[in-house]
Amino acid sequence: MMRFSGVCSAIVLVVLSGFAHAEQEAWALFDKVQHAVQQYNFDTSFVVLKGTKVDTYRWLHGRTDTQEIEHLIPLDTSGVDILRRDSVVYYLLTDRPAFVTLSSSIPELPSLLFEPKSKVSELYNAIAGSSAVMSGRNAQLLRLTAKQSSRYNYWLWLDAETGFPLRIDTLSEQQTPLERWLVTHMQISPELPENLRALMDADLPAPADSIDKALPQTSHQLTWLPDGYQQVTEPATIPQLENSLLSYWLLTDGLHQVSVFVQNSQRLPTQAYRDGATTIFVQAGNKMEVTVIGPVSIDTARQLAASVQ
Amino acid sequence: MSSEHQDWLSAASDNNALTKAQLDRLLSDAELQNTLARYNLIGATLRRETHSPLQANFSDDVMLQLADEPVYNLQSNRSMYQRIKSAVAVAANGTWLQPVAQGAIAAGVALMAVFGVQQYQQSPEAALSPQPLLQTQPIAGFATPVSLSQTTVSDRFAEQEQQAMLEQQKRLQALLNAHRQQVRVMEQAQQASHNTPDTGTGQNEQ
Repeated sequence: MMRFSGVCSAIVLVVLSGFAHAEQEAWALFDKVQHAVQQYNFDTSFVVLKGTKVDTYRWLHGRTDTQEIEHLIPLDTSGVDILRRDSVVYYLLTDRPAFVTLSSSIPELPSLLFEPKSKVSELYNAIAGSSAVMSGRNAQLLRLTAKQSSRYNYWLWLDAETGFPLRIDTLSEQQTPLERWLVTHMQISPELPENLRALMDADLPAPADSIDKALPQTSHQLTWLPDGYQQVTEPATIPQLENSLLSYWLLTDGLHQVSVFVQNSQRLPTQAYRDGATTIFVQAGNKMEVTVIGPVSIDTARQLAASVQ
Repeated sequence: MSSEHQDWLSAASDNNALTKAQLDRLLSDAELQNTLARYNLIGATLRRETHSPLQANFSDDVMLQLADEPVYNLQSNRSMYQRIKSAVAVAANGTWLQPVAQGAIAAGVALMAVFGVQQYQQSPEAALSPQPLLQTQPIAGFATPVSLSQTTVSDRFAEQEQQAMLEQQKRLQALLNAHRQQVRVMEQAQQASHNTPDTGTGQNEQ
């Protein structure tokens, strides 16, 4: 009997260590993909597929010993260039003055590629999947499965050779694809791309000293938060909505952001829309209208909107 | 007498000419004819002449006879289905069908597995157009041309209602842009409020 239980526990131990090893391997892949997008000099193009809509971008990145530079060009929108030098992001516009923020990554890129592993591993389990051929390259699948079902899942395919991400699918909790990020062209070079070298030294406007933090006097309360989310204590003001906005909250789980807007009632029905993985949920009411925008399921958005009092 | 008439008979069997009187006797006497036949047979045997009971051109005769046969119009009154059924029934009892049938089933299962897996892999792509679709312009969140369109708006909506929907879409577009703007400045806001060092990158650098 002793021997039997000994054998059983040995088997359980072997299986558990196997799982632990697989998990470690998957996080090693995650490290590899982050290392690729943060350390390599590259010139790539990618598309973002949201339903029937396609957005195309060109994305360049370079590093010298002391400086990092990243350039994102939305090809479908003329007149906007997004540039990051170290931790300053510039939105360069042709017809208006540049808009400058402080951020260590460009928010228009998948935040998954830049957020620290410790933060991501709090929210997700990593599983290494099978390999497949993608655009003629050998791709390794990495699945990030949300620990809480309210969060979307990610499937990443990374180049087996360089670790560069080739495709990122955002899937709902029912594993329905909502959004696809897909690299169409990729060139990794040992040297800094020439056009980035010029931008490295270009004269750019200084970031604004501080953001005006005069929040609207909120008369409402948010009584519930989705698992893992917390309120951003002092979100920036929204000048263009100042007249209509009654209350506003910005929530984050470190990887995703959800906005909750409270406005006067427009007497329109409760409705939900989807822009790729972003849900837009409008909760109608007699006195106020609550709009929830963010990468959450409609159920979560409904619950969040209902919690406004 | 007997030996004498056997002599001319024997000579006749050796193709010697017969006199008229001898021929008359031969034709009138059946015993003499039998004897001549026996002599011919003996002679043939002695000469080792191979004698075939079938003529060389016997097949021609058979063909001729077949040509003279009447044509029978034989038609089966069984349907195609019945014939296939009986053929299958016969084949199923035969020993050759079982391994063939087993092979066919195995191949079918393999095909199902291959195509089933392919379909499973294709299904996420096919389902890439999700629910209500919001057409938005993902510019960097500045006042963009309003391109928000709700697909559920149908013609039966009164103009007034359409106008209201359009207003609503404008409002939603403004809110979506505001959300994007918040995401953009969030890190800066957090940095300012917490005054913590930047931890966004660098932790995973190797």
